[in-house]
Amino acid sequence: MIPSGTVSPEQTPSSDRAETRGDAFRKQGRIEEAIHAYLEALTFPLPPALCLKLARCYDQLNHHTEVCRWALAIVDAGDDFTTWLAGCALFQRHAEEGTWPRLRSAKIALVSSFTTTQFCPLLRLAAARLGIQIDLYESHYGQYQQDIIDPGSRLYAFGPDIVILAVHEGDLRLPDHSATPETDVRNEVDRWTALWKMVAERSRARVLQFNFALPCEVPAGHLASRLPGSRYMMTQAVNLRLGEAAGHAVSLVDCERLSALVGKRQWCDPRYWNLSKQAVALDALPLLARHTASVIAADLGLSRKCLVLDLDNTLWGGVIAEEGLAGIKLGQGPEGEAFAAFQDYLLKLKRKGVILAVCSKNNYADAIQPFEQHPEMRLKLQDIALFVANWESKPDNIRKIADTLQIGLDSLVFVDDNPVERDIVKKFLPEVDVLPLPEDPAYYTRALSQYLGLETASFTAEDSERADQYRARAQIKELEAAAGSLEDFYRSLHMQAIVTPFDDAQLPRIAQLIGKTNQFNLTTRRHGMPQLTAFIKSPDYVHLALRLRDRYADHGLVSVMIARCEGDVLDIDTWLMSCRVIGRTVEATMLEHLCRQAAQAGCTILQGTYIPTQKNAMAADAYAKYGFEPADHADGHQVWRYDLRARGPITNTFVRNVDSWETLDGPP
Amino acid sequence: MELHDRLEEVFRQVFDNDDLVLRDQMIAADIEGWDSVAHINLMFGIEQAFGIRFKGNELADMKNIGELKQFLADRTNSDAAPMRKMHP
Repeated sequence: MIPSGTVSPEQTPSSDRAETRGDAFRKQGRIEEAIHAYLEALTFPLPPALCLKLARCYDQLNHHTEVCRWALAIVDAGDDFTTWLAGCALFQRHAEEGTWPRLRSAKIALVSSFTTTQFCPLLRLAAARLGIQIDLYESHYGQYQQDIIDPGSRLYAFGPDIVILAVHEGDLRLPDHSATPETDVRNEVDRWTALWKMVAERSRARVLQFNFALPCEVPAGHLASRLPGSRYMMTQAVNLRLGEAAGHAVSLVDCERLSALVGKRQWCDPRYWNLSKQAVALDALPLLARHTASVIAADLGLSRKCLVLDLDNTLWGGVIAEEGLAGIKLGQGPEGEAFAAFQDYLLKLKRKGVILAVCSKNNYADAIQPFEQHPEMRLKLQDIALFVANWESKPDNIRKIADTLQIGLDSLVFVDDNPVERDIVKKFLPEVDVLPLPEDPAYYTRALSQYLGLETASFTAEDSERADQYRARAQIKELEAAAGSLEDFYRSLHMQAIVTPFDDAQLPRIAQLIGKTNQFNLTTRRHGMPQLTAFIKSPDYVHLALRLRDRYADHGLVSVMIARCEGDVLDIDTWLMSCRVIGRTVEATMLEHLCRQAAQAGCTILQGTYIPTQKNAMAADAYAKYGFEPADHADGHQVWRYDLRARGPITNTFVRNVDSWETLDGPP
Repeated sequence: MELHDRLEEVFRQVFDNDDLVLRDQMIAADIEGWDSVAHINLMFGIEQAFGIRFKGNELADMKNIGELKQFLADRTNSDAAPMRKMHP
């Protein structure tokens, strides 16, 4: 996604001519020729007007897939409101099963303090761009409190997954000046957190709230910023406290930052407020929609995990194989500074849990030279989970990277300065997102910072170590190849596990796993925080969280199981495992602990269900593998049973059960 | 492009209708979907396309297409502000 203002679509005269030709064809009803001309006119970054023209042409041909493709392209092509709106209408008419890449659907309820009629379709389009089909409930503007307070409201009848509190600064109950700012701020924060609590009590929805954009107009002027009783300072205090109160449980869209990004004068237009209570100017709505959609995507666990980086002219200026260590631009001079700043930013992303991989057309020896020897390199070899430098095609190499790291192609973002490589990847690996890098490296960091696919819903200890864990995983893959037998390999890993019931501190990570695990997930039930809290409180539920460590890495919390006691049956409601530890017998350890729990609860039968989805085929034989017998098969659900008395408890000799980590004898 | 064609393009986008044809006598009731929300979108689209700004009160009332065209002709001739390039 290219920020407007940093890069402008530079249309060459020839592309202008092609566009004019396309317009003429279209006027004459020669649609196919018009499409040819428009495709010829395409420049980078994509001009929104051309995306719309293409969508319109395909609309006339009733070509659903292409209409959806070009309507969704508008989201990446800039923030022009009218173009977006037209794109929304086209998308809406053509979006059906199979006409666009849908990953997930979600029921979103939007309650607001201002008019959101225009915002809703834009949000739908922005979410679709991220693979989310939104089923939307929109309440009347100004009705957010009534809707939330009334347990019988249509809001709750709708059964939302997410409730968006779209509210604005004008709605804050703060005087222009207060003699008791502490009290006023506390009361206002209490008012919002009470609403959050009500939503949690009355539904299974997660709350997503807009925070408050400071206004243009500040009566106290500069004095306001040193008067704690000014509305200006109190609003900042409310934002701060809401952030603290939100924690892992509530998501925020930082409207204060967004309003600063577009400029406060652009954020709100008093004419449109007066006419129809638009608290956010129509101009700024596409940006708000994109950001809101990305927070929703993160809540649903659809964030991208891994950046696949090119080297020459992406991480440094010039070509290492030709110009050598002394010739490439890095750290020195304006261009070198730009590349160094980009690397610094990549390192910050790595610390927040983004995996970095390298995919370069180079000789391996040339490619690693700067990492090992250049004094200005910020990124070191150990920061790169997987380093691929060879002369094979980038799509092939990217597939290899996904396989080795055991993550989906839809978790990858490709970063390359070369537009040809970007196009090839787009064409052959449509699941991979491609970052539209601008030509000037000075703007690389900004382009990456405004790319929204890396938004995440929480930050846990696991996240900060994730990148290193993936590096370890790649090493293990190599070890696996070298080991004689699978058993030898398992033993060589020196695995230890700590398995405990859920506790509050683990809940954010557990919710994160439940939200995003697709592959080894037997039932794909997406329980939210409120349900998880209910499971912990209920005496009928058994819940297990497994942490794993081996000689290479601490993998953190990687497997979760929830089961319900019903008489002598212990029924597994949820069982999932992070794909980073698949194929290492961790499943057996989970079942081993479940058997112990069954014994304690007096259950003699373990019962498990496998609900097939498009992504969880790898878990289909999980129960059969450990001696469960097929019991039932209805609506595609397969029920499996294990008789503990007849078959005895399941055990695993490859993973040692410990209460706290024991000293390891391998490399760190 | 003539003012009429440019205006027509804005209407086609806002009303999601590629076949929409404007006539001077047309009023809101003649165009399917021209409600208060569409009106806001339309006014905004015209502002962007013609590089002008309506005054608060001008946003709300506009009798018919002919009057709107006359208004735009007057405004775009007298305004020193450069016109923005229009989207389709």
